[in-house]
This record gives sequence, C-alpha cells and structure tokens, in this order.
Amino acid sequence: MKEVAEINGTAACPYCGAGAGGGHFCSGCERIQPVARGVDYFAFLGLPRKLMVDGPELEKTFYSLSRRFHPDYFMNASDRERRASMERSSLLNDAYRTLRDPVRRAEYLLALEGYKEAEKKAPPDLLEEVFELNMQVEELKAAKKMADEDGIEEARGALEEALSGLNEKMGGLDARLSGLFDAWDEAVDTGAGGDERKKVLDRMSELLSHRSYVRALVRDIKEEI
Amino acid sequence: MPIIELSMTGRPKSGRVVGIDLGTTNSLVAYMGEGGPEVIRDEAGGALVPSVVYYDGGQGRLLVGEEARERLVTEPRKAIYSVKRFMGMGSADVEEDLGLVPFRIAPGSEQVIKFQMGDRVFTPPEISAFILRELKERASKFFGEEVTRAVITVPAYFNDAQRQATRDAGHLAGLEVLRIVNEPTAASLAYGIDRRQEALVAVYDLGGGTFDISILKLKDGIFEVLATNGDTHLGGDDIDNSLITLALDELESRTGRRLDHDPSAFQSLRRAAIRAKHELSDSDSAVISLDLGRENGGEYRREISRDEFERLISGLVEKTLGPCRQALRDAGLDAGQIDEVVMVGGSTRVPYVRQKVREVFGREPHVELNPDEVVALGAAVQADILSGGSRDLLLLDVTPLSLGIETMGGVVSKIISRNSTIPASASEMFTTWVDNQTGIDIHVVQGERELVADCRSLAKFTLKGIPPQPAGLPRIEVRYLIDANGILTVTARDVRTNQEQSIEVKPSYGLSDEQIEKMLLDSLEFAEEDIRKRQLIDARNEAETVVRATEKALSGQADRLVGEDERAAIRGALDELRQAVAGEDHLLIREKIKRVDETSRHLAELIMDNAVLAALKDRNASEVAEGK
Repeated sequence: MKEVAEINGTAACPYCGAGAGGGHFCSGCERIQPVARGVDYFAFLGLPRKLMVDGPELEKTFYSLSRRFHPDYFMNASDRERRASMERSSLLNDAYRTLRDPVRRAEYLLALEGYKEAEKKAPPDLLEEVFELNMQVEELKAAKKMADEDGIEEARGALEEALSGLNEKMGGLDARLSGLFDAWDEAVDTGAGGDERKKVLDRMSELLSHRSYVRALVRDIKEEI
Repeated sequence: MPIIELSMTGRPKSGRVVGIDLGTTNSLVAYMGEGGPEVIRDEAGGALVPSVVYYDGGQGRLLVGEEARERLVTEPRKAIYSVKRFMGMGSADVEEDLGLVPFRIAPGSEQVIKFQMGDRVFTPPEISAFILRELKERASKFFGEEVTRAVITVPAYFNDAQRQATRDAGHLAGLEVLRIVNEPTAASLAYGIDRRQEALVAVYDLGGGTFDISILKLKDGIFEVLATNGDTHLGGDDIDNSLITLALDELESRTGRRLDHDPSAFQSLRRAAIRAKHELSDSDSAVISLDLGRENGGEYRREISRDEFERLISGLVEKTLGPCRQALRDAGLDAGQIDEVVMVGGSTRVPYVRQKVREVFGREPHVELNPDEVVALGAAVQADILSGGSRDLLLLDVTPLSLGIETMGGVVSKIISRNSTIPASASEMFTTWVDNQTGIDIHVVQGERELVADCRSLAKFTLKGIPPQPAGLPRIEVRYLIDANGILTVTARDVRTNQEQSIEVKPSYGLSDEQIEKMLLDSLEFAEEDIRKRQLIDARNEAETVVRATEKALSGQADRLVGEDERAAIRGALDELRQAVAGEDHLLIREKIKRVDETSRHLAELIMDNAVLAALKDRNASEVAEGK
C-alpha cells in the first residue's frame, strides 16, 4: 500500500524522536502515529485526487488498514497510541464512507476545491414539470382528505407515471455526472490548468444541485403515494 | 469502627477477559477455552442467571438470580426483573412498561428511574451491577482468581444513554468494561459462519425485551456490519403480556375486578403465562392454569391453541419485520441477496417467529446454536480478540442512530448518519452571535427525525471561557467522536489559538460521574461478603475496642473516682457485652455496646476531666520552665 508523505507532514515520531517518514506508522519504531490536522481523505487512503475509483480495490484498502488501525489491537498500548489508533480508525471509516459513494465523493472533492455546499436547484428543463407535479401532489392530498377513493386512485396513477419519468431523468443526470468524472480525471492526468479544471467543477456543482433537487422531489412524491 | 476492604485496589491489570450477556430475562458469562468459546456453568450445570434482584431492606438481604426469581410470587414488592428495559431511561419514557410491573418508583425519576425497595432506592445500573457481580463471582470461582475485565453485550439498537448505563453498571460491579459489543454482532462471531467464504448474513435477534436486526458482510475474517435496526422495547416480555392481558380481561369480566393490584397474584399469572408460551413452542395447545385464591376468583384455567396464540402475537411479530426491511434498504440489498439468516434470543423459539423470518428472507434460518447462549459465546470471542489472543477476526460495527445537533428553530442538523462504521467522527465550526459572548450552548441529539423534539436528547454542552471578542470572530471547532463502544465523546478547540476548549456536559439521561462515585461507596456495603456477616464483624470489632477501653478505665483511677455500685454496674454491662459478642446477632451487640457506653459515661467524663486538669498542670509547669 502506498503511504503518502502529506499524511503526517514531516513531524518527528512522538515515541522514538526520529523522523517518522510521514506514514501511518513510524518508519523507525513502527508505532502508530497521531493524525495531522487537515488531512484529506484521498491522501489518507493513498489515492490521487481523482473521481473514478475502483470499488473492490478501495474495499481492500479499507479492510487492510482496518486491520492495522483498529482500537481492538491497541487495548494494552499506551494512552497515546490508543488515541492515535482511535483517531486513525475514525478517519479511515469517515474517508471510506465518503469516497465509496460517487455522489458523496464528488461533493467532497468540490468542498476540497473551495466550493460551498450546492443548494438544491431545479433543472431548467424541469421547471414546467415541477409546477405540474406540485399540482398533482396537492390533488392527491385533497382527495385523501375527502376520502375520495376514485380521486386518490387517479392522482396516484398520474404521480406514479411522473415518478418513472423522474427516475429516467435521474439516470440521465448520473450519466452526465459520470462523464464529468472522466473529464476531471483527464484534466488531472494531463496537468490541465486551473481554468479548465474550474470549468469542469462548475458544471459538476450545478449538476449536483439539480440532482439533489430531483432526488428530494422523488422522495416527497414517494412519501405522498 | 467499620473496616473497609477496597477490593478494587492493587488487583493485577492483566488476566482474563470474560464475555457477558446481560439479558432482559437471563444473563450469562463465557470465556475463550482451548477449543473455542465456552459458557461458565454453576455446580448444577446451569448457564443462565435469571436477571432478577431481590432486596429485603429490613434484613439487609440481597439475592440475585434463581433465588430472587423464586421470590417474585411470594414477595413481589421486593424483587426487580426485566431491569434492562429501564436502562438509560427517565420515568416519562417507560410509563407503559411501568404499568405492567409491580415496582415502586421513587420521586425524582425524570432522568434516571429510581426503584424504591424498602428503605433504599436503586437505579437500573445498580440493579444490573448486582447481576454482573454475581456473574463476576461465578467466573472468579471458576478460574480460582478474581476476574476484573469483561466485554458486555447490549442490543445493537441501544442509544448512547443505554450504552452508558450498561458501562456504569459494569463499573459499579467492579469490572473494567473493555468493550460494549452489540448482541447480534457478537452472535455472528459465535456462529463463525465459514470464515473463508464471502457471505452476506442477517442476524435476527428477538430477546426478552429487545429486538435487533443486523446485516453483515463477512469477508477474509472481517465482520463488517452494513446496517442495523431494531426496537429496544419489543421482546418476549411483550408476548407474555399479550397472554397476561387476555387472562386479566377474562378474569375481570368474571369477577368485576382487575387483578393488576394484587402483585402476588399477578406474578403467579405471569409465571403461568410464560409456562404456556413455552409449551406452545412444542405443542398445538397449552393451558394457562393457576389458583388465584378465593378473593381473586379461585381457580383459573384457560386453554389456548397455537392458532389463537399466533393471532394474539401476530402484531408484535409484524413489528419486527419493518426494521428488517429498513435494514435491508440501508444496506442496499434485497432479501434474496442474503446468504444466511441466523436466529438469536429465546423468543426465536416461537415457531411463528421462525415462519415469518423465513417468509421475509426466503430461506431457512439457522437455529443450530442455543439462542440463549450464542451472544455470550460471541462476547467471549471478542474478549479474546481484545486480550490479544486472536487477530484473525475483526468486527467493524456501526452506530444504529444518527447523531445531530440542534439548530435554529429546533431543527436537527445531522452530523453522523446512522449505520456509519465506528469509530466515526465529525467536526462542526461554531462562532458567537453577540459581541463579547464567552459561552456557546450546544444540544446533541440522537435519532432519525427532523425536529429536536422528536429525537432523543443526549446531552447539552456549554463551551466556556471564550475570550471576549466581536461577534462572529471566535472560531471554535467541536469534534464529535463515537468510539468503538458506540458511545459519544465531544472535544472542542479554539481554532485561532489551537487551545483545547473546556466543555461542561449535562447528560440528559443517566448518571453523572459524581453519582457513580457515590454509588460505588454505597455499594461497598454489599461487596463480596454477605451483608449480615459484615455487620457482625463490624459490631464485634467495635465491641472489642469498647471492652478494652472500659477495662482500662476500670483498672486505673476508677476506685478513686466512682463508688463500688457504679463499678459493679459497669462490670455487669461488660459481661453482657462479652456474651453478646459470642453470639451472632449484630443488633444485640450494638445494644450492649450502647449499654456499656451509658453505664460508663459518668466514669469516662471524670477521667476526661482529670486528664484535662493534668494537662493544664503540665503546661503551666512547662511555661514556668520557659520563663513565660
């Protein structure tokens, strides 16, 4: 496994005093190192800051680091080592939880690159549809209130139809997201300039805000049905 | 002159770690043997210690386990059972439960339930500590050395307060609790389903009072929990209650009176209902049969078929299926993808439960291991890992409930979502709202709902000692860490100065550290020896001191100071005291000590006066010598 130098900076090992080598464990005395502040998840897992991630490979890394960090194996160690094990395990778990999910991974990258959390925004081509959908939801609510069985059935049918349309839309958004992942990775690989990278990230940020809007919409409709 | 022996000091830190299943109905302890985990049994071969504690204030008598359970019917007011349902709860949380048990609740139970038992008040962690101490003693006897370290299991769906209460109980019992482990996860360790193969496993755990479902992925010796769900107030007790309610209703229509108010008759009925429930696991019908005495309507006999029983409990069993589906959804799996289903907990003996689980997962569940013992066996496996024995297996568990903080308008902002692998952490940045503000209040909650009012309050924190600055300038980073026990710790740091920030914690439920310390001192009375034996020893020790001092007074200036009558009275009282010491009654010894004190008080005062006079004389002499 690749261990990246930024993980601990160039700090000296708190146990043996020698240069720790920047890894999870001291290169000299092999004891577990405290976590440096501001470590990012990609670096911690020894990954480049790219968006296409090999799932099974990531799981393998997660399992093998778990076996090295977990507090279970430090019960009789010093307080300091126990704390380091706890910190490293929790960081590992946080990193794995974030990076194994494509959407969370993209959101995390955006945050690292200085983007604020994107607000939910309706995709422009969906605005009319959203208006229509809200009407249908209201109709369903009204029908429920009146206990109008036929009305409920009708409104439900319309919403279910709309739902399958939205799911299709979601699929389209995911495909475009995946395209942007490739574009980002290529920009990283080719050493593209800041402007080009920013263009990709801007589009990604917008796409994610559309996606979370559609997702919330789908959830609300499902709940009402 | 009490002699306190602190058993906590100077014990060896290394040594055995045992696994304890602290159950609603029964508890047991296991260890890792040569050939695998084994349950520690009593002389009669029994593994289970009924989770019942009996306390008789008048006699200072404390019983745990089977002996306590036997007294439930004869002395129902002096025994506590199913205490696990009350762990980490305030009285408002368990109103319904309290309606079904004969326990007296002391005032001031809002944050921690307090059971009134005779002259004393006990909290759930204290009652649990008595059970744990019994198990600790059983293990210590088995190994011939004191066992002081343990892994204790809890339902996976236990919240922070319930876990803390369990850890407090261990502490009160003189145990170092190395880890709180989730019951279904422990069970999966015990089953040790072919470890080389990759498998998706569902553990369905329906115990005496709690229900858990956990979905695990097993791969290369790693037991990774993908999702967990459950209900910490659903179990065999509720099945019993549905039978009991049936009988209570029928008896009421017959006699016009509700039996609830006669705790002894109620316990007889409860016992008969449990017996019928057990029979219905093997037979097509059973009879609830008992004699309630003439005032309660005499003999009661009610035949119940398995069909009727299943109709009665179908709602309860249905309540376990929602969490099963939710756990599958959270794990991102369909029921069809599950390779193995494991049944844990005594209530999974009910055929209807097995049938429903079979239907949901579409496969035959595993029932090979004793469902009462499998959790303790798994705890022993985890204990072995923690004591450095095995590194083949590793458990990666999750937090069952989302963690959030209160934001404007009483809305929850989630910071660690449910089913996150633990340890897990999150950080939040805080700043001040008004100029020169030196404190910030933070309210931490647990739960899935949007509003603070619908979640479980964990604690309120105050960040204190923020240097006075214009509003918005201070930057305080608060870090939340859920450790491998599923228990939260919070630290705070001033980002600009990099100083640790002091935090004042007010837990919403549960006991403070000070209260625990106080209980530790209180519980010394019950430590190791039988309480009456201790009282006898104390009384004899004090008697000895009194006898010695009084004899000395009599042999000294007594002739000069008091008359023969008075001296004879003192000698008489002394003789009586000596006789009492030869006996076993500590109260009699105390009485005779008092008598000696009374008869010799006059003499003691005279001796004291003389001593003071002598001292003054000495001082005067020395002052003269020093020329003052």
